[in-house]
Amino acid sequence: MSTTVPKTIPGDPLESAPVLVGRPDDRALTESLLTPVLEPMRKGWAALLAVLLAGMGFWLLCLYEVLFKGIGTWGNNIPVAWAYDITNFVWWIGIGHAGTLISAILLLFQQRWRTSINRFAEAMTLFAVAMAGLYPIIHLGRPWLFWWLIPYPSTLQLWPNFKSALPWDVFAISTYATVSFLFWYLGLIPDLATLRDAARDRTRRIVYGIMSFGWRGSARHWQHWRIGYLLLAGLSTPLVVSVHTIVSFDFAISQLPGWHTTIFPPYFVAGAIFSGFAMVMTLMIPARKAFRFEHVVTARHLDNMAKVMLATGMMVAYGYAMEWFIAWYSGNPNEWFAFWNRATGPFRLIYAVQIFCNVVAPQLLWLPAARANIAVLFLLSILVNVGMWAERFVIVAVSLTRDFVPSSWADYAPTWVDWGLLFGSMATFGVLFMLFLRFIPAIPISEVKELRKELEHEDHHAAAKAAAAEGA
Amino acid sequence: MTSWVLGEFVEEEPLLEAARTLRAKGVTGLDLHSPYPLHGAEEALGLRRSTVPLVALVAGVGGAVSGYLLQWWTVGIDWPLNVGNRPPHSPPAFIPVTFELGILFASLAIFLGLLFAYFEFPRVHHPVFEVEAFRSASIDGLWISAAVGRTEADGVAAELRRLGARSVSIVPGEGAP
Repeated sequence: MSTTVPKTIPGDPLESAPVLVGRPDDRALTESLLTPVLEPMRKGWAALLAVLLAGMGFWLLCLYEVLFKGIGTWGNNIPVAWAYDITNFVWWIGIGHAGTLISAILLLFQQRWRTSINRFAEAMTLFAVAMAGLYPIIHLGRPWLFWWLIPYPSTLQLWPNFKSALPWDVFAISTYATVSFLFWYLGLIPDLATLRDAARDRTRRIVYGIMSFGWRGSARHWQHWRIGYLLLAGLSTPLVVSVHTIVSFDFAISQLPGWHTTIFPPYFVAGAIFSGFAMVMTLMIPARKAFRFEHVVTARHLDNMAKVMLATGMMVAYGYAMEWFIAWYSGNPNEWFAFWNRATGPFRLIYAVQIFCNVVAPQLLWLPAARANIAVLFLLSILVNVGMWAERFVIVAVSLTRDFVPSSWADYAPTWVDWGLLFGSMATFGVLFMLFLRFIPAIPISEVKELRKELEHEDHHAAAKAAAAEGA
Repeated sequence: MTSWVLGEFVEEEPLLEAARTLRAKGVTGLDLHSPYPLHGAEEALGLRRSTVPLVALVAGVGGAVSGYLLQWWTVGIDWPLNVGNRPPHSPPAFIPVTFELGILFASLAIFLGLLFAYFEFPRVHHPVFEVEAFRSASIDGLWISAAVGRTEADGVAAELRRLGARSVSIVPGEGAP
């Protein structure tokens, strides 16, 4: 197994870092990528899991408060009927978008650097969507009746109102969760079979044997698998764009100043990808270090993710600028006031955080040295997550505090349950992610093998070309 | 009674060549097993084009149509609901759910179709798994399998050895590949 690392100057466009360091053979790749699953449990992993489980316990306590006492335990009021819950919902669902973008859109564009990070990003999507989906359900007030949202012939003789954006949300989120899971699992089956065959103990062989359904790497299966995988990618691509578009309709089709904007769908989608890439970065930087994935998740991956963050961050900044412009240009005093209130009203600090984290800080990514500096990337990824949460809060709650009639204005303050549901959901997400890292191959093994095959082929061609040039 | 002849190869090209040779000799029930999709396997085995796209198309269109009909009938016909004075049958408002159901049905058809119809899973006990060394098929091994009549098994095994297989085994079993 070759371990030579090609020399690169960080950010040199003529000589970028490789997508795969060295050309390890299939067995070496399998072993290195399965180490986190097959090695004995690590103390550090267990300790972190314990901390996250404690956070999850607090989250369950907050859920108990909401389910047994009701949503009066939140800081919501009238007119601020949507606050932390919907902010968290939009934030989490946005984070989920990077997973589908990396696995589906970049697959269709044949971007090789997606190969080693797609499984990871898809898992992040699944867990983020799971966290997101809970908020609208607990916000129903009587969440145990959530199935009234499903159109079925009932004795109520009523149907969901399909002309409202909220039932659209139900269909969009449930389709997104289902399709993300199917795409993730279809890609996982060959790797679960690898795990079954590489495991040495009976329990793992049985469990992973059942999970892989008896995959035997048959060429007859691979043929259909490839087409099916590609088709699911093709279907996920418009799906991911539609999901945050529909989420933005929840706001855009209302008449509230600050919400009633046609720029919302593209601006929400860009923001979703922006925050999602930031979250992949936040999770990947420690994970690649802890599990020694540096040979498959290289400086090239981080550099490319940083570029996507910069590009989508600029789109988001354009959205902010255009909102201000239209607020002024429309000549609508209510619209103008909504924006003036964001920047100078009681929540101006949160607005400042939004602008600093989402517009100012990411400008650092123009510098190649910043994109090559892991500490800078990690810090920026966290700032972007904070900034995007602030943005969702400003849009959802701050707009509601000041609507048309001053007599109906009100302020908003979150309660401990609101905070608990936010931080608790992060801990629960962390628990799910830690379990994923431990029990499922986090890097797609069969796809990395295929990538290595292609790269070897190219190496061979390049060598032949160089030899021919020398001969001439 | 069927026998399964399994041969392990080290390189891709001899494996594909072996598949072509056996197929030319009229051996049926051939299959290849590899940890990643092999380029050229479909041609070597003479597989026909996958019909998965057709399944996805039919399911997707079916999902979209049923999604639209569901909305049209429920809020347009069965219980016309006047909200914001939109007409009972409001095509623009029906687009999101129609689209989502089209994607959902197509994706479910692809996934369930692949697993249960195309792959005939779950099938955790398959004759090829009887050979312990076959575990390498998902790690770094390249395998060829042939489901042949018991009387032909020895001949195919000898042929595989001649074609460069590193190891050859015969497993009694049933069924097609």
